[in-house]
Amino acid sequence: MVADPILYVALPLITAFLLPLFGRIHKELIRIIPGFLFLFLVYNSIVLLTKVTTEHQPIIVQIAGWAPPIGINLVFSSFSGFIASIISVIALLVWIYSYKFKKIEFDNALKYFVLIMLITAGSIGVVLTGDLFNLFVFLEIVGLSSYPLVAFYRGRDGAEAAFKYLVIGNLASLFILIGILIIYSQLRTLNMADIAAHIGTMPQKLKVTAFIFLFIGIGIEAEMFPLNTWAPDAYSQAPGPIGSVFAGMTAKAGIYAMIRLLYTIFDFSSSFNLLLVMGIITLVVSEGIALRQSNLKRMLAYSSLGQMGLLMIAFGINTKAAVVAGLFIIFNHAVIKSLLFLSGSLLVYNSTDKHIKYTHGIAKKLPLTSLLFGIGAFAIVGLPPFSGFWGKLYLLMATADANMLGLIALILAVSLVEIVYYFRVVNGMYFKKAEDEIEIQKPKWNAVLTMVILALAIIVVGVYPNIIKDYLANAADTILDKANYIHTVLPSLAIN
Amino acid sequence: MKKVLKIKKSITMTEELMQQILKYTLYGGSIALILIGIYGVLMKKNLIKILISLSVAESGLNLLFISVGYVMNGTAPIFSPAVVDKNVLMVDPVPQALVLTAIVIGLGVTALGLSLAIRLYRHHNTTNIDEIRNLKW
Amino acid sequence: MKKFIVLLLVATLGYFMLDAFFAIDFGINHIKDLGSVSAQYLVNTKVLKVANAVTSIVVNFRGFDTLGEVTVLFLASTGLGSVLFRKRKVHTKLNPRRTSTESSKILTTAGKILFPMILLLGAYVFIHGHLTPGGGFQGGVIIATGFLLLLVTFRKFAVNHSTLTWTEALAGATFAGIGLFGLTVGKNFLENFLPTGTLNNLWSGGIIGIIYVAVGFKVAAELTGILDTMLSITVDVEDEESTEN
Repeated sequence: MVADPILYVALPLITAFLLPLFGRIHKELIRIIPGFLFLFLVYNSIVLLTKVTTEHQPIIVQIAGWAPPIGINLVFSSFSGFIASIISVIALLVWIYSYKFKKIEFDNALKYFVLIMLITAGSIGVVLTGDLFNLFVFLEIVGLSSYPLVAFYRGRDGAEAAFKYLVIGNLASLFILIGILIIYSQLRTLNMADIAAHIGTMPQKLKVTAFIFLFIGIGIEAEMFPLNTWAPDAYSQAPGPIGSVFAGMTAKAGIYAMIRLLYTIFDFSSSFNLLLVMGIITLVVSEGIALRQSNLKRMLAYSSLGQMGLLMIAFGINTKAAVVAGLFIIFNHAVIKSLLFLSGSLLVYNSTDKHIKYTHGIAKKLPLTSLLFGIGAFAIVGLPPFSGFWGKLYLLMATADANMLGLIALILAVSLVEIVYYFRVVNGMYFKKAEDEIEIQKPKWNAVLTMVILALAIIVVGVYPNIIKDYLANAADTILDKANYIHTVLPSLAIN
Repeated sequence: MKKVLKIKKSITMTEELMQQILKYTLYGGSIALILIGIYGVLMKKNLIKILISLSVAESGLNLLFISVGYVMNGTAPIFSPAVVDKNVLMVDPVPQALVLTAIVIGLGVTALGLSLAIRLYRHHNTTNIDEIRNLKW
Repeated sequence: MKKFIVLLLVATLGYFMLDAFFAIDFGINHIKDLGSVSAQYLVNTKVLKVANAVTSIVVNFRGFDTLGEVTVLFLASTGLGSVLFRKRKVHTKLNPRRTSTESSKILTTAGKILFPMILLLGAYVFIHGHLTPGGGFQGGVIIATGFLLLLVTFRKFAVNHSTLTWTEALAGATFAGIGLFGLTVGKNFLENFLPTGTLNNLWSGGIIGIIYVAVGFKVAAELTGILDTMLSITVDVEDEESTEN
């Protein structure tokens, strides 16, 4: 079967367009067809990843046959391909989980699966594209598919969270467009490699203004403080599996856009320090607020924001070791957070306000789910032998290499905070008595399968981190080497 | 001879003046629209007014896009039978294509925003965002 | 207090933007040198035998963006349906069309006459997208305006949502399908594989005209669907305090 980066985007689009028609043929097709699509995307990822690793060359797809900078191109490198593969795997797992999700009836099931397919296509599009305006269009696709997902249930809080997300997201698009416009007016091109090659010719004042607008715009999507006020509401109001979609797919797309912005398009050395500082602020503030949360999903949302802050710190340090650590944390965050959201939503399934007190003593009634949630909690605070430990360790080692010892103390202190609020929940699950009884929803076999796969991934990578670490070192080279990127995409330009 | 030269010089100067006037009006006007829109989004209390302010800001942005692509004395970038053989000056077609996309995307977002506003109105019976603020820290 | 902060923020923003944009040249002919992207577009659009350069950019050179845009519209229409759940139409007094008065004679007569003309204009615009200014999006919007006229004038006019869904789905699939078909004949996604004809003829540009017609249909269907959903506001029977999460 053919494997091509363009299929990541084209196939979900055509399936999403045709899904209403399939639904009229037979109702069950609506739930089955997305599964086949995601299976194919995972197959696509495996084939393309092996190809990129063996050939040590990114795969470039020139859409419509026109070479860049006239045409739009997709770049599947070991870096972008890695993130795209993570996104497709998470999509497949979310599909397995939601296959028989009880709260989705027929008519809504159609919209649900269409939105999930399109949010996957959009996120992967953001990660693979090599053109700045195309990045904007795909960010819009991601945004517009998230808004209805946040408002999916019938209550009024979902609509409010979605409205807030929509307004803030629209402001983000505005800023991104202004930034793109300033760049275009000077360089008259929209291709990322072309911009990177010619960015030196831009007047400094305009360059800084364009950078600030793009930084703010993409920062809103990458959940940077103080622009992430939309995120806790959106995460907590969306259905459980959508929480993992947001944490594992859209946030990754956002941080990837930020990385591209700083590492490839612009060439300020001070931009990395800016990212580092914003990352620190995001981390500290989010973890602090997470401590005070009594709603389980909001707590997970704030913890997710903290992890994004950690990623910003990792990519702000701008050394090879830090980038490898950052990529490891991207993998961790996608897998562990998904597990936490999926199991967490089962733990408080029938409660209306998702209060943590409903999880007290739940270990007796839902032993497997509680165990999996516990694994997720242990992993994310960084305890061995889970994969989260290695991610944090590599980051701390990279920080020490860069001589930022204060940062080490900060990260350790924040990890302590994480331990406090996660263990509060785990402790309550196992040792406290249940005060308010709510109806327990036993997870069906597909939900259990998904969570077990995620937990196994965490454990396996925790015991053998070198499985992916060697691959990541290769990927890190790809993102750090700007000249190589330019030369691969635009072979006609001389290397400068 | 001198008079002709003088008239020619004043014509080019007027052209340049025209160009400057156009530049400041177009750029300044579109930026003003964007700022008005952003102000409205941040300050207004009515759901519908917030969405309208977003629309205004987007219109300003689209105008700005087009202004950047303008070439003085250029014509539309269409090779109609009248101009296909002559080498005529044309405006930049790229911002026009980008604006086409941006307008449609803005339309989609506005439609979705309005539907959310309808749903919020149904639940709370008010369009005042202060009274709808249910979700807190 | 808040007003002051917001004004300060907007003023700072305005200062930065004005500062930046007044430094940008206006009206300078930047297409002169053949290396720039815009100049290459203008040259290559004649190679594609498409008269309207903007169309060739939108559908062929940057056709991927247009595919994304079409997806955005599809998302808006799907999302609208998801947010406003049209599962059971129970007309209540919230429905504005029920409570409004009957339209005047002028409006009803003129509406019936104008509607086919508007449709014709819209169809003309999107069929000739590669020859004259306009195209799929513009034509689709014009057609949707025609439907809006009918929806506003006649209280009992309702659009068949089944037809809309089929049109939307098939048109969208045509666009993506043509692109994918290009892959099967050995070229790239969305690359032109049909003969390009002669410049300024109706048949020119290969797949570009076909794609734009599909886009026209899709946009018309989607916008009409959006308008119809919004104008027939319905209330679900059990709408109250269910805050299930």
